[in-house]
Amino acid sequence: MADDQSFDLAGCLDRVRLRDQAAARELVDHLYPLVIRIVRAHLPRRVAEEDLSQEIFMKMFTRMGQYQGAVPFSHWVSRIAVTTCIDHLRAQKRRPEFRWADLSENEAKVLDAVMTDDKAVGAGEAMAAHELVHKLIDQLKPDDRLVIQLLDLEQKTIAEISALLGWNASLVKVRAFRARRKLQKLFEELKRRERS
Amino acid sequence: MKPSEPNNPWERLTAAARRAEDTRDTAAPYGFATRVAALGLAPRQPDASLFARFSLRALGFACLLTAAAFASNYSLIASVSAPEDEMAATDDPVAEVIDIAS
Repeated sequence: MADDQSFDLAGCLDRVRLRDQAAARELVDHLYPLVIRIVRAHLPRRVAEEDLSQEIFMKMFTRMGQYQGAVPFSHWVSRIAVTTCIDHLRAQKRRPEFRWADLSENEAKVLDAVMTDDKAVGAGEAMAAHELVHKLIDQLKPDDRLVIQLLDLEQKTIAEISALLGWNASLVKVRAFRARRKLQKLFEELKRRERS
Repeated sequence: MKPSEPNNPWERLTAAARRAEDTRDTAAPYGFATRVAALGLAPRQPDASLFARFSLRALGFACLLTAAAFASNYSLIASVSAPEDEMAATDDPVAEVIDIAS
């Protein structure tokens, strides 16, 4: 979506509604970066990102008639993408167990640094921190995981999350609270294990 | 664990994680748009007609009835077929030759 200014989205949508294949291809190419970023951020385990992206685009084409133009088209597609990801996350019955022994050397170092107030996480350890965050949020329920990810990693506001997911603000806050409480317990458990 | 606490571990961890840059390509893979556009605009299969749906149900019901009829009349079927089996065994030329030989 780099060439947002030059892309005639409204015209393209009109042509897609007339079942123009070339316009549909242009639309997919235009929206792919947006969709793939959402998919990569919320990708469930053992699901290929290309398969999930294809499913999202198929839903977009199927529901095209329902788009009324009340919100920007990209927001509407983002919502489809996020709800498709969460459906896949919900379908995963089991969540992987989080074990200290499974952490890589860098991840253990990062965890040690964040749990000790006097140590700072180095800039070179950002990727390990990213991996560690995903291992931790994998322990949460899919809905809680989604909220905490949007709130703390993507730094979206409650209002933005509410609009994206179609949930009311109170529900988003409750889920965020519940997720943070679970994460706190997880950290306490890790601290205890580290000491022992 | 309030997010505004500067020293809470989760806050520090997410702050570090946000510094990780995703350098992966975000352009659609070759052929992806063509495939998805073709699938997305392909004419959809019409829903099964009322007749088709009822025929499937009728077929299932007929199978159930057959099974039930077979189960309830099994003893009768078995008794009728038993003598035929014996007859078939005696009519068997090989069996007869073996019988004579012995």
